[in-house]
Amino acid sequence: MRAAAVAALLLATSPAEAADGVLAITGGRVVTVSGPVIENGTVIVEGGKITAVGAGLPVPAGARVVDATGKTVYPGLIDALTTLGLTEIGSVAGSVDVSETGDVNPHARAWIAVHPHSELIPVARANGITAVLAAPQGGLVSGQSALVRLSGTTPDALAVKQPAALHVVYPTGRAPFDLSRMFDEPERKTFEERQKEKRRIQEKQLERLRHLLEEAKAHAAALEAARAGGPAPPSDLRLEALAPAARGELPVVIRADAEDEIRGAVAFAAERGLKLIVAGGLEAWRAAGLLKEKDVAVLLNVDRLPRRESDAYDAAYTNPALLAAAGVRFAIVSDDASQVRNLPYEAAMARAFGLAPEAALRAITLSPAEIFGVAERMGALDPGKDANLVVATGDIMDHRTEVTHVFIDGAEQSLETRHTRLYREFKDRP
Amino acid sequence: MKRPAAALGAVALAATVAAAPPAPVDKGVALMGGTILTAGPAGTIEKGTLLIRGGKIAAVGQDVQVAAGVPVIDATGLYLMPGIIDAHSHTAIEGGVNECTDSVTAQVRATDVVDHRDPDIYRQLAGGVTTINVLHGSCNTIGGQNAVLKLRWGQGPDGLVFKDAPRGIKFALGENVKRSNFSRPGPRRFPATRMGVEVVLRDAFREAQEYGREWEEYEKKVKAAGARGVKPVAPRRDLQKETLRDVLAGRVLVHAHCYRSDEILMLIRVADELGFKVRTFQHVLEGYKVASEIARHGAGASTFSDWWAYKLEAWDAIPYNAAIMQARGVRVSLNSDSNELARRLYWEAAKAVKYGGVSEDEALKMITLHPAWQLGVEQRVGSLEVGKDADIAVFGAHPFAPDTRVEMTIVDGAILFDREKDLAARARGGEATSGGAR
Repeated sequence: MRAAAVAALLLATSPAEAADGVLAITGGRVVTVSGPVIENGTVIVEGGKITAVGAGLPVPAGARVVDATGKTVYPGLIDALTTLGLTEIGSVAGSVDVSETGDVNPHARAWIAVHPHSELIPVARANGITAVLAAPQGGLVSGQSALVRLSGTTPDALAVKQPAALHVVYPTGRAPFDLSRMFDEPERKTFEERQKEKRRIQEKQLERLRHLLEEAKAHAAALEAARAGGPAPPSDLRLEALAPAARGELPVVIRADAEDEIRGAVAFAAERGLKLIVAGGLEAWRAAGLLKEKDVAVLLNVDRLPRRESDAYDAAYTNPALLAAAGVRFAIVSDDASQVRNLPYEAAMARAFGLAPEAALRAITLSPAEIFGVAERMGALDPGKDANLVVATGDIMDHRTEVTHVFIDGAEQSLETRHTRLYREFKDRP
Repeated sequence: MKRPAAALGAVALAATVAAAPPAPVDKGVALMGGTILTAGPAGTIEKGTLLIRGGKIAAVGQDVQVAAGVPVIDATGLYLMPGIIDAHSHTAIEGGVNECTDSVTAQVRATDVVDHRDPDIYRQLAGGVTTINVLHGSCNTIGGQNAVLKLRWGQGPDGLVFKDAPRGIKFALGENVKRSNFSRPGPRRFPATRMGVEVVLRDAFREAQEYGREWEEYEKKVKAAGARGVKPVAPRRDLQKETLRDVLAGRVLVHAHCYRSDEILMLIRVADELGFKVRTFQHVLEGYKVASEIARHGAGASTFSDWWAYKLEAWDAIPYNAAIMQARGVRVSLNSDSNELARRLYWEAAKAVKYGGVSEDEALKMITLHPAWQLGVEQRVGSLEVGKDADIAVFGAHPFAPDTRVEMTIVDGAILFDREKDLAARARGGEATSGGAR
């Protein structure tokens, strides 16, 4: 199987040429996501776009034919929360560009640092992931994310949407680390006292954020006035970067796991008129009604431990099914870089714990595309969309399934990775 | 799960018994009609019956006679596999993982700090895990002694210990031991290089050998003095050296955390020179580069399915590692090193099928029979064979399938996780399940 795939690759024209040519993927089980599954279906690709999807379609003359008989064809998977391209080797600082120093960095933009030649990208791609949200982390305001396709040798070639969102970490209320007090005896406080202290720190941070957003709007207004001939305000990249989010134009992804943090984020977003997306969302099921009411989408990963000792053992596993039942929009994400390839298995766990298989697949294809406003281009097999396609030997959420072909914008991608190269080098060593 | 009313009584009975020290149901229990993945010579048994008696597997096969009166659990449509064994865990010793102050701490023991109330025990039972190898951390070259535990949820700390398991000890090589990824105030600890790690090993074992000779001398003198002579003075007992002496005598299994292929070869050389064996290389992410050498040493390898890139020594990690080592004759297990990952080891095993084409039977052994051998308990657990402990994970579909889920987990014949009961408890008491079960 693998050898055949490699051989097919060698025969294929170079990606750039292939993207312009005509391609027909025939005979497969076509899972469109947006519509019904088509058995023995055909997908026609032309000029990097899907032009037709259906059963019994004629293959255009001169088209390259990929026989997918016995296989399943999916839209490329989308991982809507990662640090892919921002980190290479976790422990090697020189290879990590995830978190800026300081805690208010709205002007830190992921697409400046997403490394097109990261060895992690082909590894993710080889298991069917064709686009990701690359997002900075840390601080209070982490920075801006980019939605990137996993093919291309320059940052511009990767770009799909930048900025995709502003990323904020909901204040946890933990006191800032103080080295000078590291060896002090811990203060004895009651639970109530500690809760009060936590809320005080949280409120202080939120007040800071509130202030920054107001300043950003004022700064934007001053810039507007300057364009009309008024005096120019002093340059402030932070405030400039915050303005679109402050005005409710750019989505704000707020990382929040605990129920009170999620509810706090929803209240804050409502108060400031922000376009909120919750990330993490470990206890989103506890606030499902509110999230539905306010139409807030959630980016969550499934393979996590419950947050509370008293929680059911499967609280994180059933989270997606409960959100689906409540009508909350959500995407399943890896929230990782080297583990992006395991995205379909996060969806599998949601499936094992009550999420319908179709909904699980949607959570790693069309739903993330909708949440980040790129559903016109990707997330389903519809005519007119970018030809991001995956051919697999079976159910893509089954760990035993192999991905045999990946196309991004109609161009066939190599399935070679650092891992397959090392495998070849050592598998026959005596 | 399809289960006749009569069987429900049996389930309740077994669960009650589980709360007391193991006193298995005399009549036994029969699980009937399921697909039995034995991980033993019998392979897969379709529509099989597994009879449990006295906490052991009394019979397994297609033609097992079940006497009248033996409670029956209808396992039609379900899959039975041996309870999963995690050969690298730090569950139930939170806060007691690393004795980090010295690079040789062979004297400390994980069994002294077992917390039987850790909810992760229950959570892992719910993932089909029944035995775990609780290891000391990787802070030091020679860490503390391990605790092989059975997840007998509901029992006290001593009740969790796998009594017949041989003692084991954690070694560690590379970045963690060098403390290269950790910054803390104060002077750095020796060793700070891989050179130093080798020196610490050699030094510690030389001392242990000398200590052993002191005791041999002493024992000779005792013999010579006879009953009437002047009693010789015994050497001062040193718990650290005593443990290493036991390693040299083959009484303690060495579980060595390692990453790079050169450091794996280093440990093999040192072990050969000093005269001990490594039972398992843990993590061993570059094991595929020296798989034949590992096989020749006679060691097993306990690795991650696909972790990589989290540190420099994990940069050459590949998901084909397990498959290559297995093909070279190494007994390979897939472990979690994580309270979260431990709950889905059945899918970690499935990845060995995807990466390198390991057969499903062999992949299953990577979380059952092979880790059992690695912990020296393969006579007791790791496969569904007559005479072995009745440690069984019952799945709703094939354990590698995407829709599968653990429905029931049995330890020593007692049902310690039952999803139906768990759901019923939630319905009754709100949220409390794992919390309420203790």
